[in-house]
Amino acid sequence: MSKKSKKDATTEASVEAAVASQDVVNDTSDSVEVADKKSKKRRWRMSRRGFLVGLGITGVGAALGLKFGVPEGQLALAGMLDDAAAPSNVKGSPVAWFEVGTEGTTLYMPKVEMGQGVHTALKQIAAEELELPWDAIQVVSSPTTRGLADGFGTGGSSTVSSLFTPLRETAATMREMLKTKAAEKLSVDVADLKVEDGVVFAAADSSKKLSYAEIVSGVSEWDVPKKAPALKAQSDFKYVGKPMQRVDFKDKLTGKAMYGYDMRKEGMLYGAVARPESFQATMKSAEVGAAKSQAGVVDVVITEDFAGVVATSRAAAYKGVEVLNVVWDEHSGFSTADAMALCTVEDGSGLTVQREGNAPKALKADSAKVIQAEYRTPMAAHSHLEPQAALAHVQGDKLEAWVSTQAPFVVRDDLAEAMGFKKENVDVTATFLGGGFGRRLSGKVAIEAARLSQATGKPVHVGWNRTEEFKYGYLRPPTHNVLKATLNGSKIEAMEHQVASGDVAFPFFPEFLTKVFGADFGAWRGATNFYDGIENRRTLSQRVKLPFDTGWWRGLGLLANTFAQESFMDELANAAGVDALEFRLEHFAASEDGQRFRGVLTKAAEMADWGGSLPEGHAQGIACSTDVNTKVAQVAEVSIENGKIRVHKISCAMDCGLTINPDGAAAQAQGGIIMSLSSVFLEKVDIADSRIQINNFDSYPLITMRDAPEINVEMVDSGPEPFGVGEPPMGPTAAAVANAVFALTGQRLRELPLKLNA
Amino acid sequence: MNLTINQQDFSVSDEDTTRPLLWVLRDELGLSATKFGCGAGICGSCSVQVDGVTMRSCVTPLVAVEGKSIRTVEGLATENEVGEEVLHPVQEAFIKHQVPQCAWCMSGQMMTALSLIEKNNDPSEEEIVNAMSNNYCRCGCYVRIKTAVKEAATLMQEQEA
Repeated sequence: MSKKSKKDATTEASVEAAVASQDVVNDTSDSVEVADKKSKKRRWRMSRRGFLVGLGITGVGAALGLKFGVPEGQLALAGMLDDAAAPSNVKGSPVAWFEVGTEGTTLYMPKVEMGQGVHTALKQIAAEELELPWDAIQVVSSPTTRGLADGFGTGGSSTVSSLFTPLRETAATMREMLKTKAAEKLSVDVADLKVEDGVVFAAADSSKKLSYAEIVSGVSEWDVPKKAPALKAQSDFKYVGKPMQRVDFKDKLTGKAMYGYDMRKEGMLYGAVARPESFQATMKSAEVGAAKSQAGVVDVVITEDFAGVVATSRAAAYKGVEVLNVVWDEHSGFSTADAMALCTVEDGSGLTVQREGNAPKALKADSAKVIQAEYRTPMAAHSHLEPQAALAHVQGDKLEAWVSTQAPFVVRDDLAEAMGFKKENVDVTATFLGGGFGRRLSGKVAIEAARLSQATGKPVHVGWNRTEEFKYGYLRPPTHNVLKATLNGSKIEAMEHQVASGDVAFPFFPEFLTKVFGADFGAWRGATNFYDGIENRRTLSQRVKLPFDTGWWRGLGLLANTFAQESFMDELANAAGVDALEFRLEHFAASEDGQRFRGVLTKAAEMADWGGSLPEGHAQGIACSTDVNTKVAQVAEVSIENGKIRVHKISCAMDCGLTINPDGAAAQAQGGIIMSLSSVFLEKVDIADSRIQINNFDSYPLITMRDAPEINVEMVDSGPEPFGVGEPPMGPTAAAVANAVFALTGQRLRELPLKLNA
Repeated sequence: MNLTINQQDFSVSDEDTTRPLLWVLRDELGLSATKFGCGAGICGSCSVQVDGVTMRSCVTPLVAVEGKSIRTVEGLATENEVGEEVLHPVQEAFIKHQVPQCAWCMSGQMMTALSLIEKNNDPSEEEIVNAMSNNYCRCGCYVRIKTAVKEAATLMQEQEA
């Protein structure tokens, strides 16, 4: 597994400093891509505002890349830890790039479209401030050589929240630059110009007008405004806050959209790679064997830790791999039970990640009355339906790759290191992704394709099969949560939450940083106690080192930690004899956060007619959570059918601040709830003899339409800024269902997947 | 070997006639709308129509489809007199209800829905659930798929009328 995605902070910082210290820096790799090769006018400038501005004229338009502030890498990381929302701009280059041409405006972004609708949302934001007609701007994932460095990648529900203001400012700056240039060309004072639908015109005489394409034509130098341009008032928004249709659906539904698995190139070949049975196995030896004489096999590549086959078809490549003589030093003996035993909270162990008041003291003082419960979740697999895929083409010391990845720059760096190539010679383009969910953040499949391409000089596609996807990736780690609390009447006096979890984020950071962090912020995501009306709260995060790979998953620890905390809140409400909704409402302070929690809880309860009459044999459960500052509350309505839990309805209220696209946000909530329900009912990865025991969907079934409940989603807007929506809806579902099951049956189920006692 | 796909004739190698239709479509003919998800006929991403019946192309040997009419998502939309693309009612309904997210499974969902509606253009909710519950959608678009399939049936009824 890659352990190096953040390793280049120092190098990047010094490059950035070099750029900043010079007024004009010619010929950066960023500008070459868009500039006319004959043009001498291309230049980079540093404006007073600290924007890095690249201007290049291609003959058909202008390109403008603006830097979103200059945060220090460490500061950005600290911010990410602080609010659990990763910034898009951990590294230092421009992160957006506009091109205005005769065909319209293109916004190049390093952010990828994996189903979450981010290209639509970014288009809404950019079109808004650029005053463009909806169809006149498109958002595309830019190749890495275009230079929009983004070491973080796409994830953490952070794209829209981190880019909202910077992208607006960038677009507004560009709009003002276009206006200024139009003023010159039209001989009209800039103050007398208006902009509508991509046309700049004189307010007094609308026949004096220029389209953006006409404005940029022939212009070689631009003036950057000295002060920040005015941003539109929220009441004037045409696109933001509206349920705009997704820009990618027509291509996706007609089969034109290209995903990593679909990429093809003239003369391409197919690759497959030898793999061991057990995790942690190392290659002892490998020999070509009969592989080279197999029909369709073009070449065999063997190094000290890699054996792969290139062939004219996927089937031939896999057959070739089967007859390689590879000897592995296999591991054995490790089982699910071992994983669970390792993943066990040791009382008081772990790093304190939240301390309000003095929970240990309060619990000790009232030790006879401590209520305690423990919860578990198993390993799970991401199960995005498009397995890992990459097409790579090595030509000399240059490499092009098209990859289904959430993090093209991480893949680029991984490729450069594995192949010994210069980074600027590696161009990675992120395709459409057939799901991401945190599983597409390593360069592994791209490296495999690149090694095989280098040997043959041909483009080589490597697409994993389902078994490879399940066995050779990384899993959601197992978790063990222990909660303790004391009640004073119907109020919680103190509460403590101890989390033991396998790694989530740590495998993707260098070892020294994990020591700095102390606790894996991915593992404790969602574990801190958000009931700010409780005086004494403590949360501890205990790192569990496991012998198999674990990592990112949609919502990170949110699903497991909220399942535990919100089930426990239900247990406490029962112990106090208070309605579960009332009990929650009473444990928030008169704070802004508390107000927002009350908002979503009240809304979800109202949607579900909480406490109203239900069909015979039905019951409701409620839960809430916070993630990336988005508050979510859900009410589940369940019954028991044929001895099994059936979920009939989920009512979900979500407060993500300003909602950019209400329909897109609702879709994310619906999808997150379904994905959670799949974990609630089905998903569990077993390990036996150091081998992952799932091979395909027959041993790892997912939820289907048959078990999908009615899902109602309502947004509770609460401010001028957007927060993430991709992961937060994963929070409350499991607890809401478990709490409903308790209300119905009296059985308190504390382990996922939920199984009724006989 | 000759194959009829979306009413067009294709000639493919008859070297190994047991090879799955999926990879012939995708890798040999460049018809990549049909997706790979599991290779075991479970997830439904690779669903195509063969003589109007939904088949899992990842486990359908080539020899089984010789001389039959194969339909994939590439064959859903048509062209009008002026050469513009006209979406199939199933595609229209899936766009109207903004169904997909990543959309990797959507070709299979649409081809499965099409077979259902062609047999029964007024399916009940239960019939839709029965027909569609063998197709996975990891993004969790089931609620919208259900609505869109009902809508597609209505659109197709109107078209027939």
